[in-house]
Amino acid sequence: MRIPTCLFTAVLSVLFAAVSSGADVALRDVIDQEIRSVWQHEELTPPGPADDAAFLRRVYLDLIGIIPSYEETLAFLNDQTKDKRARLIDRLLAHPRFGVHQADVWDLVLFGRIPASNEARTRDGFKRWLVQQFNDNVPYDQWARAILKAEGNTVDQGAPMYLVQYERNPEAATIAITQTFLGVQLQCAQCHDHPFDHWKQTDFYGMAAFLVRLRAVSVGKKGRETKWVVAEHSSGEIMFTGPAADQEPGKKGKPIPPRFLDGSELVEPPLPKDFKEPRNFPSGKMPPKPRFSRKNKLAEWITARDNPYFAKAVANRIWGQFFGRGLVHPVDNLSQNNPSPFSGLLQKTADALRKHNFDLKWYIRELCNTQTYQLACAGPVTEAKPRWFERARVRPLSAEELLESWRLATGYDNVARRAGKKQPDGRFYGVTWGYMLRFFGQPDNGVGDFQGGLSEHLYLNNGELSQLITRESGGLYDAILKSTDPWSKRVERLFLSILNRYPTPAEQKKFVSFLTADDRQSDRLADAIWVLMTCSEFRFNH
Amino acid sequence: MKKFCTPIEHVSRRAFLKGTFGTVTGGLLMNWGGLWHAAENVKNERKHCILLWMNGGVSQFETFDMKPGRPTGGLFRPIQTNVTGIQICELMPNIARQMDKLAVIRSMHTSQIDHPGGIHLMHTGYAATANIRYPEIGAIMAKYLGKEESDLPDFIKISSQGNSGAGYLGPKYQPFNLDHSGNLPPFSLSRLDPQDELRRHELRQFVEGEFAKKHKVETARMHQEAYEGVRRLQRAKAVFDIEDEWEKYRDRYGDSKFGKRCLLARRLIESGVAFVEVGQSSYDTHADNFTGHKGLLPPMEQAWAALLVDLEERGLLQSTLVVWMGEIGRTPRINNRSGRDHYVRAWSTALAGAGIKGGQVYGATDKDGIDVKDNPVTEGDFFATIYKAVGINPKKEHYQGIRPIPIAPFGSKVVDELLRS
Repeated sequence: MRIPTCLFTAVLSVLFAAVSSGADVALRDVIDQEIRSVWQHEELTPPGPADDAAFLRRVYLDLIGIIPSYEETLAFLNDQTKDKRARLIDRLLAHPRFGVHQADVWDLVLFGRIPASNEARTRDGFKRWLVQQFNDNVPYDQWARAILKAEGNTVDQGAPMYLVQYERNPEAATIAITQTFLGVQLQCAQCHDHPFDHWKQTDFYGMAAFLVRLRAVSVGKKGRETKWVVAEHSSGEIMFTGPAADQEPGKKGKPIPPRFLDGSELVEPPLPKDFKEPRNFPSGKMPPKPRFSRKNKLAEWITARDNPYFAKAVANRIWGQFFGRGLVHPVDNLSQNNPSPFSGLLQKTADALRKHNFDLKWYIRELCNTQTYQLACAGPVTEAKPRWFERARVRPLSAEELLESWRLATGYDNVARRAGKKQPDGRFYGVTWGYMLRFFGQPDNGVGDFQGGLSEHLYLNNGELSQLITRESGGLYDAILKSTDPWSKRVERLFLSILNRYPTPAEQKKFVSFLTADDRQSDRLADAIWVLMTCSEFRFNH
Repeated sequence: MKKFCTPIEHVSRRAFLKGTFGTVTGGLLMNWGGLWHAAENVKNERKHCILLWMNGGVSQFETFDMKPGRPTGGLFRPIQTNVTGIQICELMPNIARQMDKLAVIRSMHTSQIDHPGGIHLMHTGYAATANIRYPEIGAIMAKYLGKEESDLPDFIKISSQGNSGAGYLGPKYQPFNLDHSGNLPPFSLSRLDPQDELRRHELRQFVEGEFAKKHKVETARMHQEAYEGVRRLQRAKAVFDIEDEWEKYRDRYGDSKFGKRCLLARRLIESGVAFVEVGQSSYDTHADNFTGHKGLLPPMEQAWAALLVDLEERGLLQSTLVVWMGEIGRTPRINNRSGRDHYVRAWSTALAGAGIKGGQVYGATDKDGIDVKDNPVTEGDFFATIYKAVGINPKKEHYQGIRPIPIAPFGSKVVDELLRS
């Protein structure tokens, strides 16, 4: 059985090579062909494509971080044109919420729910800036460079906040930057030479040497936001004292010069003889530029077109965002010691992304248009993130996605609009945002590893959801209760509004009988809405 | 060892409840309390742990490492315990009578001298770092000693500190926090009429069932299991209401809030909870150290002693490790406000119960309590010993990304002398 399959695969890959050597095969087709050949090799039979409703909800959540409205759902399901999925993807990529949602995802990648230092706890300036980068489709290498160069302040420019959180912590900065931007795991080499990778402790400290001179300086306020800038000294070295196991108190160590991960040392001009380093940078005053910026050299090296890690790291991370796991997994470990059957495909996607000048909208458009992304979420595989991408992945909605989707489903914002009430500031109102973060704030790793926990259900069962199930005019509850349609029609609307699909006949029957069982329709209706808002089908993107 | 068991032990508790009380739709009526308790009252070999947390840092000089007649000795006198040759502070007469159960460590030597750092250290065994979120001892115990289908959470804290929670172990092992009076955390109580809740539950079960037919994915299953766990918790919540038992036990545990918390901890352990942490504030006696300890220790030590006796009488002490500690010790030097400051070069903790060889003092400090003289115990050694005592391999590794992190820090040594062989 195995031999014919291998033969078949061999033939296929020859065919495939012929195709891919052609000039203009779209990336989406390259991906589908390569994934399909792996399925054949592994003797997998994936389910067919997702139906329209499943695709609609999935792509709304993935691209703009919110479910579609009742009207949008109906319009899409009734649309009979052939290319409606591709057109929907284009529409969502151009949606102002695209940047908002992608910035939510990347903000967590860069800061987590608990950033490395308190200064970064509120970072509205950074988030505003990041939303803009996505909506203007600024090439990724450009905005990544801006984050690492950290020019300007954290309020008017925004980008410096990333490095502000690592002030006086060059070791943590080294770990985070290499992992996030390069997919390189250096952390083991902080204390000892890496046990199964080729990284040495001196590689770690060579990178940390680029970051050791950074300081965060507050230069004023705008409203309630503090303006931080990243200042850089012109001197100061990282000291290396050997393996952690051999440490002794008072050991001085020797300075390690800055060295890039590819082994090349940074060439630095010598400081003038009479140069005097300021002891500190007083707050309230714009700090002077360094004589020579190590940080900027690092930013340029990381984001250079020919950096061997940079394009692969971002291609893999974004792949993971849409497919649950990276082509190489975990998404931020591209080590040779972490082999993957898909590493060839990753190289191709990374090359294509580089060729398209790090145009993320283009890349995301290609991913969402693949048949692989549009697979049904069915079949015998129980893994949330199928290893061979042979089924759509299942990820939990983030706290942001949940709250905004709940509000949209129940018509909460509609009610306020109709009543002429002013919406509260920000995006996260209706329930207590602190509770949402506490109960739904994890995972924050960008690929969505779900873990069940009691506390989220205590909140769902006994918490504040009833506040969102508004009974006023303009909301879903009111529309259903006041409707003169038969209950079967009203149940349809419930499902279309909350789960973005029609109910099955069995569901329709069950809900109609639930809602009409006695004269307490008003309580029953709130219960039915609650059930659809808290069930697994709502909790996950599938 | 031969074991006698009642017929009820041969039926799983859930099967028992389902068979008896399941309705046609498989739903369960809630709030009928009481019954689960008898069923759960099964003694088994599963290990548990209670951590008595002396927040702020209790003084070793006023508890277990007396230096009478020395300039660092302070005001109190040592008294004899029920173990020949071991003396402890006169403020702890009840504990003195339970000394045969205790293993006192007089040679703690740890690395974090401030409160947040010490609280993190002595809850996780690790110093806090920016890149890794370490799980607390309670989360580790819940993971390895807890059971999946329990009615109750396996990591419960009563009025206690700890700043890292489940860490990288994730939301499943987050602590379930009760306040200083043992009240449940927000949103624990259903306000719905039980019949209404059951109806809503049935509709939800139907919806979940339809989803599960098409989606065999494990995350949906976990989501559904946690939901069911919460419904079981509603049934089990009577265990948190100690008023009925308090009448009977008040004199033994002492009429104090800490006493109530300890009784609650015993009830929770008895009901199968893996780990309970009970906190007492506030030992940070930079001023008036002696009045402070004179006020704090008597109610604490009475409840602690009562807890040990109560667990023993119920046959639970051999399966329940009771850990007593704060995050730091206090200075030998008495400052000009009659206070003692933070000190981690040499201080004391105590263990009892599961796996512990009682009636001993391990390690020693010099004549003024300034340095460890014999057998220093680091935070890592301490945690390795605790985990070993309840049967968890302290060398077992969890992976954070690609990095292996052992349960107790790399290089920690189990102190075998503290353990029953």
